[in-house]
Amino acid sequence: MRHFLDRLFDATGYLASVFMIGTLLAVLSSIFGRIIPALELRGADAYAGYCMATSAFLALATTLRRGEHIRVTLIFDRIPAGIRRWVDVACHSFALVVSLALAWFSIRLVRQSHAFNDISTGFDATPLWIPQMGMAIGTSILALAFALDLALLILGKPLRTEASAGERAHIE
Amino acid sequence: MDFYITALLIVALFAILGSGVWIGLALTGVAWIGMSLFTSRPVGDSMVITIWGSASSWTLTALPLFIWMGEILFRTKLSEDMFKGLAPWLEKLPGRLLHTNIIGCTIFAAVSGSSAATCATIGKMTLPELKRRGYPDSIAIGTLAGAGTLGLLIPPSIIMIVYGVTANVSIAKLFIAGVFPGLLLAGLFMAYTIVWALMHPDQIPPADQHFSFGQKLYESRHLIPVVSLIAAVLGSIYTGIATATEAAALGVVGSMLVASLQGELSWKNFRDSLLGGTRLYCMIALILAGASFLTLSMGYIGLPRHLAEWIASLHLSPLALVVSLMAFFIVLGCFLDGISMVVLTMGVLLPTVERAGFDLIWFGIFVVLVVEMAQITPPVGFNLFVLQGMTGRDIAWLARRALPLFLLMVVMVLLMYFVPGIATWLPQQMSG
Repeated sequence: MRHFLDRLFDATGYLASVFMIGTLLAVLSSIFGRIIPALELRGADAYAGYCMATSAFLALATTLRRGEHIRVTLIFDRIPAGIRRWVDVACHSFALVVSLALAWFSIRLVRQSHAFNDISTGFDATPLWIPQMGMAIGTSILALAFALDLALLILGKPLRTEASAGERAHIE
Repeated sequence: MDFYITALLIVALFAILGSGVWIGLALTGVAWIGMSLFTSRPVGDSMVITIWGSASSWTLTALPLFIWMGEILFRTKLSEDMFKGLAPWLEKLPGRLLHTNIIGCTIFAAVSGSSAATCATIGKMTLPELKRRGYPDSIAIGTLAGAGTLGLLIPPSIIMIVYGVTANVSIAKLFIAGVFPGLLLAGLFMAYTIVWALMHPDQIPPADQHFSFGQKLYESRHLIPVVSLIAAVLGSIYTGIATATEAAALGVVGSMLVASLQGELSWKNFRDSLLGGTRLYCMIALILAGASFLTLSMGYIGLPRHLAEWIASLHLSPLALVVSLMAFFIVLGCFLDGISMVVLTMGVLLPTVERAGFDLIWFGIFVVLVVEMAQITPPVGFNLFVLQGMTGRDIAWLARRALPLFLLMVVMVLLMYFVPGIATWLPQQMSG
């Protein structure tokens, strides 16, 4: 089961990077479309936005599993290990509730956009439920990842092998 | 009554953040509580609509692309080339190769949007080279810590994109506004290094090689790739040919070109930079998502309006307001990372800032400068973390070495207050 979930989180991570390439291509098409009108993709701006959003939502779980989402660890790191485990359980429970809410209402949004036939107001005229699927799937898998981590924590098993942490993210 | 609930919410926010809940989710949770207390609107639906709107907005697309570009450049030989090209010119200047830190960071900042990436990329080249030649660690690491933060002020800049999207200000204009303050700050850092070198002549090792002018020029060929990238990215923005997002896409393609010319664009490097960039962006996107919902919720509570009215009623002089905001951000920056700091405060502070009559471009540069300071203030400072990983020194030692440069940034803020044109003149000259 755990093996399967890890594969799932990795797979959505790879899929997210495909959408990152999609973002680049959409922006490039809007540049080249200005020079060579034949290449112009109508509504490229909107497609770039959809790709970016889908990429971010799909990568949520794999980023979490690698420990790369930021949390304030200033106090956390100084709590004695025994208590810290329970603080971590509380953090994971809070995160699970929030991510479940995000997943639940994202799925609802997709269903409503589909039912009311919501169309993008831009040149692309995309039915909005299609790009919104990325948010629904990504947040659902994030909730799944939090559920897995919470279960592992309560069972007292390690969440991830520390060696896989790798180099620090180059943020900011 | 409302006042107490608002105060309670703020306390709850910091308690939840402090206990170690992931920042983006903490913001979302608090926003949920706040909104359900103050309105009868359907909270969940507003939440996902707001988050969807901000996550898929066109202006934001510059952000993932610049992040990806930085990840590609980190895996090239660009910093090695820059050291080779710069070193021959700096042997005569007091402080000699210490200036490779500052000038190297300044140049790299013009292709990188992040201060930690600038610090890591330049440091992995200069620190071993300076150590091998016998430069003292304290000043070599100190100048790197300070100069690395230029990654934020000199465009492209991740934090400027975040501010621009939050404050609804042109990102291209913000970028151009950062150029001159960035160069001026680099100049201050160099002046400090020169003064330090003149006071400690015995600690600076002798020049290792004499170059004729022709040789120097020939060595400068190593700078061609980075200079062409800068020209493509910043040049296209300044002339108005490309928007910030389009310049970012050109930057990604250009940096792949540079990598392939150096023979560094292996499948592994490409995959690592793409996956690394995707996850880095995802991490920021989660914070931005939480912040967009919190801003909506704060609007319902009326916190930004109340705060603006309260601060206006204090009749502070603009200078007092700037100094107190600076102090507030420095304290906040001790505990929070720069992006969270900006998204958390801007939604609440902007009405105050507008009411006080500050130019929003000028204020953006001010915010970036203060976030730069936060990068080198302990206990939470990303550049200090990067340097800790590279040198194995502890945070307190590193922060002491960076302190003089921190003070120079305070000087820079005051300079900018008294001469606002430093930030606002160049963007006014832009076409478009």
